Amino acid sequence: MAEIFDRLMIRLLLVLFVCLMIFLYRYAHLIFYPTVKRQALTKISPAENPADTLHFFSRLLGISVIFSSITFNEASGFFLTLLHFTLWGILSITLYLISMYVIESIVFYNFDYTDEILKRKNMSYAFISFCHAITVALLTKTIMQESQSSMVILLILWLFVLVLFGMSVKYYTFVSKLSFNRLMMQQNLALSFSYGGFILGSGFIIASCFNQEHYDITIYCIQVLLKAILSLLIFPLFKKGLIYIFPIKYQSAMTDDNGIDFERQQLGYGFFEGIIFVSAAILTTLIVNRIQFGSIYPFF
Amino acid sequence: MYKFFLYSMLLFLYLGLAKFLSPSEMGIDYLQNEKTFSKLISGNHATAILTDTHATGFLIKTFYQKYRIISGLTVEDRIFRTSKEFAKKNLTHIGLALYAKNSEIETTTPSLPGMIYVDDREYGYWKERKNGQIVWVFNKTYKHYPKYLGWGKYRPDELTFQKFRSHLLTGEAFLGLNNEFGPEGSITKKYFPQFFKVERKKKINLQTMMVQFFKENF
Repeated sequence: MAEIFDRLMIRLLLVLFVCLMIFLYRYAHLIFYPTVKRQALTKISPAENPADTLHFFSRLLGISVIFSSITFNEASGFFLTLLHFTLWGILSITLYLISMYVIESIVFYNFDYTDEILKRKNMSYAFISFCHAITVALLTKTIMQESQSSMVILLILWLFVLVLFGMSVKYYTFVSKLSFNRLMMQQNLALSFSYGGFILGSGFIIASCFNQEHYDITIYCIQVLLKAILSLLIFPLFKKGLIYIFPIKYQSAMTDDNGIDFERQQLGYGFFEGIIFVSAAILTTLIVNRIQFGSIYPFF
Repeated sequence: MYKFFLYSMLLFLYLGLAKFLSPSEMGIDYLQNEKTFSKLISGNHATAILTDTHATGFLIKTFYQKYRIISGLTVEDRIFRTSKEFAKKNLTHIGLALYAKNSEIETTTPSLPGMIYVDDREYGYWKERKNGQIVWVFNKTYKHYPKYLGWGKYRPDELTFQKFRSHLLTGEAFLGLNNEFGPEGSITKKYFPQFFKVERKKKINLQTMMVQFFKENF
């Protein structure tokens, strides 16, 4: 009984510790978003600005996803466990926030956080940022698991994943009919769903490329790169196939002056495109990672 | 058009990189035909015996051949990727030496393995048995050669050697006086059994396959 009680106490202490780490994160967030001092230092009012709430709490979700990849090895002692969690927690939060900063600098190059979120309360911006937060968290979690407790490997993989993800966000203009900058300025939710689906799909694909056994970091990186290129080849095929299987009606009569159908800008089209992207991405991971070809010398 | 061009470029990039970096492309030499043997097998005295052959792939087949290569006192089993033509041509040459060379001869005529060493004083001598038959016996240094060559207790006699020489001149495959070697040969079947395994020959019908599938999965 004493042992069970002791274990329960350890669990409760670790809950407190994780909460403390998240508390620290709240202030670490200020480094990258100094304009949001209000969020960190005072009580947050969701009703006042839903876009700001979604933007801020998406990071919390991301941090929770990342923390779920760190293990507590109690056998090595309570304080060593805390030290291990602290070190890896700080490292993961740092990498996560830098990744978010880099990715949002690329995607929202023409937009400013203060203008879009604090002044215009742009939900489209907030939702896209939410999708970034989840996807980057998923990727950070993947590389943390693949790094096998080596900080050097973690840094190499982090740089690699950041490059792949940075390139993938640029790929959106090739696969979507929606104009990112114009619709973002219009606070169009269709864009956010479409882009959100695309970015989540990209995250699934990249994470699955990294999810493989490795003995040598060079060979591993080459295999990841090859899988990423293969995914780039397979993804458009699934996207075309799904659109062919589920054709949608375009109302040409409702075309605006710029030649973009009005219908396409509506929420329905955003849902359609977003779900097509996610589905195509998940099916791509099936083809790229889930086929076992077996040995080439079955009889030798 | 631009997207199609980009997609094609990506496809070529993938194929190029995959070929260049694929583990299956590394470490396996390509044996295009019999002329390639001399480039792949080193040593002044060597024999390459075809012991197994296999094809992989669903629509595009890749062919592999397994050889036992004997050179001096070293023996190794090597796998080569090969052309479809060469693989098909040599399906009837399992257990035969497809390449043999010594200081005088270099031949790619499929023949009874090890005949290149016969009548070479460095390797052995002719010995008369009690029944009066004169057979080739390897000397002490090469006493393991019959095992390596897949001879077992078989020993070639003078007539076999003469036949071998005449086959070398005609370029016709030599399977022994009584076809003891080759895919139908009893000695090859005994000493290189891998190719002749029952499960390799067994053709599974749809019913058996389905029964097996449901047994394994439910």
